[in-house]
Amino acid sequence: MRITILNGEPDAASSFHAYLETLTHRLLASGHAVTKIDLAALDLKGCTGCFNCWVKTPGECAKRDDSATVCRAVLDADLLLLASPMSMGFTTALLKRGADQMIQLIHPYFVVEGGEIHHRARYAHYPVFALLLGADPDSDAEDVEITRTMWGRMARNMKSHLAWSAVTEGNAEEVADELARVA
Amino acid sequence: MNSLVLLNGSPRGERSNSMKMLKRVAEGWVRGGGAQPEVLHLVRRAQFQRAVEAFAGADVVLLGMPLYTDAMPALVKAYIEALAPRVEAARAGSANPALAFLVQSGFPEAAHSRPLERYLEKLALRLGSPYAGTIVRGGGESLQAIPEQANRKLWARLGALGEQLARNGRFGAAELKAVAGTERLSRFGVTIASVACRLPVFQFYWNGTLKKNGAWERRFAAPYGSAFEK
Repeated sequence: MRITILNGEPDAASSFHAYLETLTHRLLASGHAVTKIDLAALDLKGCTGCFNCWVKTPGECAKRDDSATVCRAVLDADLLLLASPMSMGFTTALLKRGADQMIQLIHPYFVVEGGEIHHRARYAHYPVFALLLGADPDSDAEDVEITRTMWGRMARNMKSHLAWSAVTEGNAEEVADELARVA
Repeated sequence: MNSLVLLNGSPRGERSNSMKMLKRVAEGWVRGGGAQPEVLHLVRRAQFQRAVEAFAGADVVLLGMPLYTDAMPALVKAYIEALAPRVEAARAGSANPALAFLVQSGFPEAAHSRPLERYLEKLALRLGSPYAGTIVRGGGESLQAIPEQANRKLWARLGALGEQLARNGRFGAAELKAVAGTERLSRFGVTIASVACRLPVFQFYWNGTLKKNGAWERRFAAPYGSAFEK
């Protein structure tokens, strides 16, 4: 299985980073093709809502930055793992910066799906979404649930669904094995 | 007179749809007896910094934003992370301002923004701030396309909400419901929208801009994979 991990932890020395390293190695050892992207190492200008990726250079962000790297890795995956510590009750601004620029992967046209208005697909295939949240003493079960709900809706708008989520409380290798069984 | 710090969390800055709406709320706030608000655009670095500093000193902070991929824009999350010391301060007994929010989205239904609203209410609790409510409004992108005049009813509602905020310290439930417009599509609405979405006229806003930009032929471009065909 092809797995892309978007790492939204800005601090390379954190325990979350180490947890993700262990998880990544376990997935590789199990024979999965893993692409791990540390968003902190990329030049991401952030979405400014210019909509040029919808109306001027369709499918491509007009900014000259690394968002194309993110987009390519997302579409090349069977499973997309969004990984971030919990911070102020949600995933990090860094992960969101990566996600905001993903609107270039969908089309501006509206369609009706599941009784709601959503955007039309731009691509034939999208990865299944998964979410790994770094435990944080200031985040409770409700924060995790709200976070999962928002990313679940984001997955729907990316023509996919959130198939799995976990908080980094369990053993990283066991969590990796559980994740590998998802897609 | 109560002080208001008005924060525009739109990455588009001054010319954003969020700011168009926030301006009307601010006008109502002043009519309701509040002091002239300090307006800060988070997209401007110096104003972002000022917004972090001004937070604790305000009576009320109104933070407005567009819905970006079903949550707050990264810019707004960065601002919220910069407020982390205020969580500690509140625990130590220091008061934080009352928090009011505005979330606008391009989707016609308000339902898309409700999970973010839930997050924002919890954020107020996290900061120990009185929660004054969240204005949720769909159909925001059409504000760019339709004349000011056509939005008179919306501006009036936003103004009324601003007045309520100044007078009662919170938005009124009935006015919040009214301003939200369509919460979800009815079964009939789904049928109508399903048909309408297939008509080119329904996508006129995008098509017009695509044509103007000479990008019409490439509108279904799929540079990073195989294109969706239907």
